[in-house]
Amino acid sequence: MAIIEQPLAIETSEAQLAERPLGSLTRPQGGNGWRDWLSSVDHKRIGIMYGVAAMFFFLVGGAEALLIRTQLAFPEQGFLSAQIYNEIYTMHGLTMVFLFVMPLAAAFANYLIPLQIGARDVAFPRLNALSFWVWLSGAVFINSSWLLGGGGADCGWFCYSPNSGVTFSPTHGVDFYAVGLLIIGTASIVSSLNLIVTVLNMRAPGMSLFRMPVLTWMLLVTQFLLAFALPVIVVALFLLLFDRVFDSQFFDPDAGADPLLWQHLFWIFGHPEVYIIILPSFGIISEIIPTFSRKPIFGYSFMVFSGIAIGFMGWGVWAHHMFVSGIGPISVAAFSLSTMFIAVPTGVKILNWLATMWGGKIKFTTAMLFSVGTVAMFTIGGLSGVTHALAPADTQQTDTYYIVAHFHYVIFGGGVLGLMGGAYFWWPKIFGHMLNERRGKIHFWLMIIGMNLTFGPMHVLGLQGMSRRIDTYSAGFGFDLWNLVATIGAYTIGLGVCYFLYNAWVSKREAKHLPAPGPDPWDARSLEWMVPSPTPEHNFDVIPTVESQDEWWYRKYGYDDNHKVVRIATVEEAAQKGDADDVHLPSPSFWPLVIAVGMPLIGYGVIFNLWLCVIGGILVAGSIYAWVLEPVDDPDAGHGHDDHHDDDGGDDPAMVGAGATDEGEGS
Amino acid sequence: MTPTRRRAWPGLLILLSLLLAGCASDAELDTLQPRGESARDIDDLLDFVMIVAGVVLVLVVGVILWMGWRNRVSDYDDDDFPAQTHGNNALEILWTVVPAAIMAAVAVLTVIAHIALNETEANAIEVEVDGSATSWEPKVVVVGQQWWWEYRYYFDDDVTPEMLGDPKNLPPADIVTSGQMAIPAGQEIELLVTSRDVIHSYWIPALNGKRDARPGFFSPWKLAADEPGVFFGQCTEFCGVSHSRMRMQVVAMTDDDFQEWIDTQMTPAATPTDEAAVRGMEAFVANCASCHLIDGVNDDTYTGATTQSGSAPDLTHFASRTTFAGGILNTYNEDGSLNRDDLAAWIRDPAAVKDNVADGLGDGVAPRGMPNLGLSERTISDLISYLETLGPKPSAEIIAATEVE
Repeated sequence: MAIIEQPLAIETSEAQLAERPLGSLTRPQGGNGWRDWLSSVDHKRIGIMYGVAAMFFFLVGGAEALLIRTQLAFPEQGFLSAQIYNEIYTMHGLTMVFLFVMPLAAAFANYLIPLQIGARDVAFPRLNALSFWVWLSGAVFINSSWLLGGGGADCGWFCYSPNSGVTFSPTHGVDFYAVGLLIIGTASIVSSLNLIVTVLNMRAPGMSLFRMPVLTWMLLVTQFLLAFALPVIVVALFLLLFDRVFDSQFFDPDAGADPLLWQHLFWIFGHPEVYIIILPSFGIISEIIPTFSRKPIFGYSFMVFSGIAIGFMGWGVWAHHMFVSGIGPISVAAFSLSTMFIAVPTGVKILNWLATMWGGKIKFTTAMLFSVGTVAMFTIGGLSGVTHALAPADTQQTDTYYIVAHFHYVIFGGGVLGLMGGAYFWWPKIFGHMLNERRGKIHFWLMIIGMNLTFGPMHVLGLQGMSRRIDTYSAGFGFDLWNLVATIGAYTIGLGVCYFLYNAWVSKREAKHLPAPGPDPWDARSLEWMVPSPTPEHNFDVIPTVESQDEWWYRKYGYDDNHKVVRIATVEEAAQKGDADDVHLPSPSFWPLVIAVGMPLIGYGVIFNLWLCVIGGILVAGSIYAWVLEPVDDPDAGHGHDDHHDDDGGDDPAMVGAGATDEGEGS
Repeated sequence: MTPTRRRAWPGLLILLSLLLAGCASDAELDTLQPRGESARDIDDLLDFVMIVAGVVLVLVVGVILWMGWRNRVSDYDDDDFPAQTHGNNALEILWTVVPAAIMAAVAVLTVIAHIALNETEANAIEVEVDGSATSWEPKVVVVGQQWWWEYRYYFDDDVTPEMLGDPKNLPPADIVTSGQMAIPAGQEIELLVTSRDVIHSYWIPALNGKRDARPGFFSPWKLAADEPGVFFGQCTEFCGVSHSRMRMQVVAMTDDDFQEWIDTQMTPAATPTDEAAVRGMEAFVANCASCHLIDGVNDDTYTGATTQSGSAPDLTHFASRTTFAGGILNTYNEDGSLNRDDLAAWIRDPAAVKDNVADGLGDGVAPRGMPNLGLSERTISDLISYLETLGPKPSAEIIAATEVE
């Protein structure tokens, strides 16, 4: 019952202890061992796990990218066979979109949304854990096709029918694609609903919607996009799976189907997906740029509404992926125009970031460099996007490297760079120590030079007529030089990513000898900076009462009579100590993990042997029952630091905070 | 700030100018060197938008660089705050309206170009077919399949999708050829693009944008070449393992050459006289006729190929085409002699030359691509001798102009 906005005092425990529905089901207790991560429902731990797993898959997808670029470095290379190449580029796309950028954004969403709105956790902590574990099981599942499926999917990430049918893709790769994305999609739908409820219902007193940080706003828009877009791809994937496993013939042209059905379904999901990928990054840099310009975000409400506008308009542009597919000229014209005009709210965002920096005091920390890099690189990607919104021009550009260049400038330039900036920005909050700034700047330059070397030349290659998804090319088309440059660039990015991991490792070791960063190392603006670093398990000692947008900044600064900014409190004075010892937190649970183990079993069953589905199904259904039947909380554990339940006869409701609504979480 | 920063931005600009310079190089698939009306319309539209986009890019990056240089501080003091501007509604409206107005202008140009691209003109030309003058609205049916293109010419009728029916079972055409589409220069050629298996995309960048070949449907498209010449293309919708090796050409001819091409293509294959070629013809009937058609040899028994797409290239005038194997190999050497080496390699083991899914398949699985028939070297040699007779051999200029790497 997360709709209860105001915190409830926990009806205390003795009565519940006696009435445990099934005595055998007890909830695990919190702690700091590795097993406690498996049962954790803490949004911060789940966020960290999302981040770590996403970085792992970034390395996997990056290795695939390097294999692609090695193959294409020179004309007519046989480094990879055509079949292997097709599998690798497909898995590269899937990995980067579904296993890297989306979960990395989810990491930030999980970690930061409760903190930014002044809550102790998300609305449904166990569902949050379920989202993560199910996503991870889907991620492992889809990659297990290398070993079990006779290779990866070989149809491209949009997997057009009928090339995705059993006739044309006879290995199990596409089955793993369909089932894997179904599992991942389930996770994302659950997560999006959870976070929507969290933002709408769990905000601290006074945190009205239009006092929320822009990041929370952009993440909220993203969750709505996920909640509406993923069901579409889930439907499409079911149809594809039924076609392949049960010969249902939804997409078989020989049975009279129109292969455009798949394209429409895919892109109705697929285009909002683009905004799912970049809006979190837009939100992140909307936090970083004001902080390091020492100014509030320029045009807050325009930033918010342009984000919402992008969210809405993102639904009306999908067929621009299909300008040459054979849809009628009126459809083409309509989608061409709608696509052009989505540039307007996007442009508003860019100009507002510039206006935020205008006249500011700009401090180029690594996070700021990444953010400014995001603005510049996304501008390039956005402008090339306008050039293929022109349907006639798109007939030349689509399915060439010009498109590859475009979407990498958007996803890598607009998305990944921003997420990297976010990593530097919130690293001290998450891990309690800074990432080394000097190395961070080297990381930034490796990334931005690498990405421009890699994807910049692809514009030229595409306009020179190099098709996408070709495993090799002939000398004599003028492709040689720029492919080599792109390959050098890709290895530069690879070096940058390794350097980032090196920086993370060394920074942790160095941190022992450095002063702790304190709650607010950047002089930032939103609520997460008023709690200690790393964030204590219970987030806020006392749920803050919010009086303005940029609440934390206004707790530090005020204006004098001349409208000049003056400090009114030091960080030490304004920040919370993190020492509350009577905060009631949701209890851990293993059942999300068990459900997540059952789902891929059902998947393997669909592909290999339906009996496996029974085992997986029993696991999933049984876990759901156990989830329902396990006690709402274990009153002896998981109550923050040093919880003495015996002597807290009555929790102070204000101290319990919004995070304590786990009581009705499963209902 | 590290000194790296100041050096790297100009570095990026230099890179950008290098990129633009790179566009000017001579490339056969270049979209920026239009040689036909549609491609030129597209290029003109793109040029204009590229200029607008370039100005916007320079402004945005310029503002970032300028502010980065001008407003940079190394650290913050407590009382060192800039003016705390929260926004400016007039500015916001301005930079909502101005981009919208720019986009509206672009939209008008786009719609104009889009309409032009989707209009067809009535431009019937006189051709002589079987000795009788025929008025022909130039139209070619383009059929994609893994991994080559077929072109079908119907001179009697203005073909419609209704008339054509199922792409896998098209009515007999006056001319069926593959790989290279012959067209009269200076004429708008209407296309009906379709596929017999998966989705492909027909794209001759110098002449027009691309159009997907969608199984079961005929998508209208068009192209035109200003002058006689050879224009290269590449399948641009991922279509399976040999997607990268699915290439094509358009050969635009003078009206006289085109008429001559029609005359030769409509003649059935001549019976060979050379001994090796005679043996080759017998080998063709024994080994190849279940998939390939040679008009005058197996046209009375041929009912389509046993491949997945139900088709294989019509070989009646094989030697009149200068490329084979889906447009990736030259039929003739530079000196004009038959390219026996590549032909032999192709017939010996097609999958070694170009990936396919045709060998070692289970029962009931139709091959995709040409299978390895396990022919002896002598049979291969005979077949090549026979194929050489399926001319006429094109001119030296055409052989040179159509040469693929």
